[in-house]
Amino acid sequence: MTLVRFGLRLSLRSGREALVRLLLTTVAVAAGVAVLLSVFASYHAFATSNKRPAWEQTQGAVVGTAGDKSAASTAMAELWYFSNDSYQGQTIERLDVAALGPHAPVPPGVSRLPGPGQYYVSPALAVLIRTVPADELGERFPGTEAGTIGDSALTGPTELVIYAGYPPARLSPLENTIVVTRIANGPQTSVWTNYFRYAYGVGALAFMFPILILIGTATRLSAARREQRFAAMRLVGATNRQIGVVAAVDSFVGAVLGSLIGIGGFLLLRPALSDYAIIGAKYFPYTVTPTAWGYIGVLICVPLLSALAAVLALRRVRISPLGVSRRVTPPPPSTWRIAPLVLGIALFAVGLALTTKQSIGTPAYPGLLVVMVGLVTAGPWLTARAAGLFSRLRGTAASLLAARRLTDSPQAAFRSVTGLVLAVFLGTLLAGMMPAINATAATPNATALQNVLLDSFSQDSLGGGAASPAADNGHLDLAQQLQQLEQTRGMSAQAAATLLSELTSRYPDAPVLPIYNAPLKVTGATATGLGRTIVPCAAMTQFPSLGSCPAGASAINTDTSNLMIANPYFSSRPIVTDTTTRSSGDVSGLSLNAILIRPSSPVQLEQVRTFLATHTTASASAAAPETFGEEVQARLNVSNVIQRLFSIAVVLTILIAGCSLAVAVGGGLAERKRPFALLRVSGTGAGTLYRVVLLESVLPLITATIVAAATAYGLAYLAVMKIAPAGTPVPRPSVSYYATVGGGLAASVLVILTVLPILGRITGPENARFE
Amino acid sequence: MSAVVATPGGSAPTRILEARDVHRSFGSTPALRGANLGLAAGETLAVMGPSGSGKSTLLHCLAGIYSPDQGEVRFNGRRLDTLSDAARSKLRRTEFGFVFQFGQLVPELTAADNIALPLLLGRTGRRAAYQQADVWLGRLGLEGLGGRRTGELSGGQAQRVAIARALVARPRVLFADEPTGSLDSLTGEQVMEILVGLVREEGTSVILVTHDARIAAYADRAVMVRDGKVSADLDAGVTHR
Repeated sequence: MTLVRFGLRLSLRSGREALVRLLLTTVAVAAGVAVLLSVFASYHAFATSNKRPAWEQTQGAVVGTAGDKSAASTAMAELWYFSNDSYQGQTIERLDVAALGPHAPVPPGVSRLPGPGQYYVSPALAVLIRTVPADELGERFPGTEAGTIGDSALTGPTELVIYAGYPPARLSPLENTIVVTRIANGPQTSVWTNYFRYAYGVGALAFMFPILILIGTATRLSAARREQRFAAMRLVGATNRQIGVVAAVDSFVGAVLGSLIGIGGFLLLRPALSDYAIIGAKYFPYTVTPTAWGYIGVLICVPLLSALAAVLALRRVRISPLGVSRRVTPPPPSTWRIAPLVLGIALFAVGLALTTKQSIGTPAYPGLLVVMVGLVTAGPWLTARAAGLFSRLRGTAASLLAARRLTDSPQAAFRSVTGLVLAVFLGTLLAGMMPAINATAATPNATALQNVLLDSFSQDSLGGGAASPAADNGHLDLAQQLQQLEQTRGMSAQAAATLLSELTSRYPDAPVLPIYNAPLKVTGATATGLGRTIVPCAAMTQFPSLGSCPAGASAINTDTSNLMIANPYFSSRPIVTDTTTRSSGDVSGLSLNAILIRPSSPVQLEQVRTFLATHTTASASAAAPETFGEEVQARLNVSNVIQRLFSIAVVLTILIAGCSLAVAVGGGLAERKRPFALLRVSGTGAGTLYRVVLLESVLPLITATIVAAATAYGLAYLAVMKIAPAGTPVPRPSVSYYATVGGGLAASVLVILTVLPILGRITGPENARFE
Repeated sequence: MSAVVATPGGSAPTRILEARDVHRSFGSTPALRGANLGLAAGETLAVMGPSGSGKSTLLHCLAGIYSPDQGEVRFNGRRLDTLSDAARSKLRRTEFGFVFQFGQLVPELTAADNIALPLLLGRTGRRAAYQQADVWLGRLGLEGLGGRRTGELSGGQAQRVAIARALVARPRVLFADEPTGSLDSLTGEQVMEILVGLVREEGTSVILVTHDARIAAYADRAVMVRDGKVSADLDAGVTHR
């Protein structure tokens, strides 16, 4: 107990230097704890939103089947028609529901089902409906608002959801209506769940690594002075255990203070965290918490681990009554240190060589991992080489002094920037590959059709090309089947004419391209015309990216099934192909398959979408009309989230690395106070010393960044050239990448520069000691 | 005061500390090559020699700080060089005291803290330890300076704090390595007067390493170390007194 008190006294009341060390350790731990809690809290919010009942994934029997009959016979059933709508790029989850009996199940977030003509909406959608003109949104949801949907059905406060009540007769004719007797209440099973879970794990580790280095650097501050203290204690009979207790208490105090301040910092950050849609959706603020266990764990584990680390650190040195000696003097890094890096690059290259259109060669994955390990192991060697090279290129006193220190202990110099190397590596790899991946969605054609709205009214259940009898319609001959199909596919010619006429009169400045179903023909046992459509050439001229009609043709007969594929890479391809033929311009009597319309403004876009939602039966895919740009954006969102996560990681890591360097520079200055002061006294200018210190810290920072970025870019280039479709542009990181890395580096250098004024003060001639 | 004349191995029957054929090298450089030395209870022995002769190494071996490569060191007839690190730490805490040229005080602690430190490490209660520290501050003429950190003390004051700390646990042997090396001659002599006076009062044996004949003159006996061996007894003390 006495020793603990003694340790506390040493930590808290041992003068300015000890206080500065305590302050820096505290700040480093606080930063680490705040970041750690933020990651925990974000993960908790993510996990909580994933645990919400996934009512959207409710299954049921299709109306008109045997399953439907048995389900509908109970009083505990309802009709569901679930679809996704859109408003200004935001998805609206829309459930049209009709109770079939008094005990129909109630979806989460409401106490009862909406009756016909009623709807429940999420708070965010309620606000939108109230504030946006009705012809842009509100008219899509006829009826009156019966209440708001509670949090249990939502993943976040900004989610747009509506439960709209209808009479059964209104929903039963719709193709995708199902009969539901039990609402799914299991957790979300998004394909991205596991990826994000791993990403959070890796993110937590990636953040912790530089933070631990920062804490370690801070605790090593004034190590020489502290070790002098320990040696003096050993001289008067302190055992190694007693020294361990004092060191552990010293570290424990800083960690406890840091943990408390870190929790405070996290609580300040928390509103911003819940407000910032890191993975594309905002969370409910109350879910953004590391939970009580997280707080308790941090308060217990961080100080204990810190104390343990201090004791373990003592094992690396031999503290004798006469002073401290290192157990192991690190030898200069050998060339072998770059072997893992070379091996990793080779493995990655082999993996790419084995890559096919179907899969990436297995060795590429371990190759990437080995490259990352290789960058860390090669770092000190590269630092030493860079220092030597720099010294040869610039023969100034400052470069000589800085290079000598870097060459003597490149491990120590590189330690502070290890996390940075990994962050820049991953960030650059991603920045190199993402544009190529995005380019496969945002093709030039998709960009040309960006504001074009596609609404489809038909889906050929028999597929394209020649038809054969369907299994469940086996009792009908082909002609009868086709006749049946003709009656159900698409919008009737009469309705189509009305729709097109109204669209033209309401939105005269919005070009429309109608796509009609080609008439079906039966020749013997084969049907032709399925999957073929008739497109008027006059309207085609307004959509040049879809191709041009043959000269003189008034309409074309072509396959437009690509348009319906939910991937802009395919859906935006020209519809004029080798199989396109001329057709007569007569479309009378043809059902309407789909329309393309290019609204002139975002407001008009929503007006058209609302008009289509209220003047047509729901589209066959149960999806509201969307623009090609919205399709592209949906695909880019995932990569944007990943890029955003890595950008945050890179910026934070660079900043933390800068702080580590600043702390290390400050500590180094304090320990070299005497020789620097003597250099000043003997005529060395303060400017030279400034340059020495700046070079010592900036050289490893720049070297690490360049090597990591160059390696990652090289790998990204190889991967894109091998994997991406022909014609994909050479990977070129975006401006935001250069801004992120450049800004981070500049911030780091600024942080380092803040330490330099100490140099002038502590090396003044009045501080020189000659004994 | 009378000098005790002895052979290099020492001949006093009440030897408290003894080195027998001690060898010690640092890498390939030998520092001690068969050193023999005996210290009688209550005796003050000066170890002299030129720089690099091995006198400090001999002191460190005698104090159990270094283990000899060969030979043995006995304290009270018990092998010291084979004791565990913890046992030697305890010995330094309870039986030995140290005064070096500089650097032996804990810089972050006050004078009183430094003096109380050996007692605190030996689990003496805090109040008792600081009471003892106050007593020793008074005995060394440091009244009112107990609250100062070592950096706020003069060289002579710091050495007096070191002497107080070395003697507070009432050790049986005091090891002093150039205790006045960083002081001017006048202050050095004042420090030595205090040191010798106190060890006489306490009955403490002293090994005093110095290259300064005037400091050696405070000893009862002096030996010369050359090339890692204790080569001769010198008649010290008499000349000074």
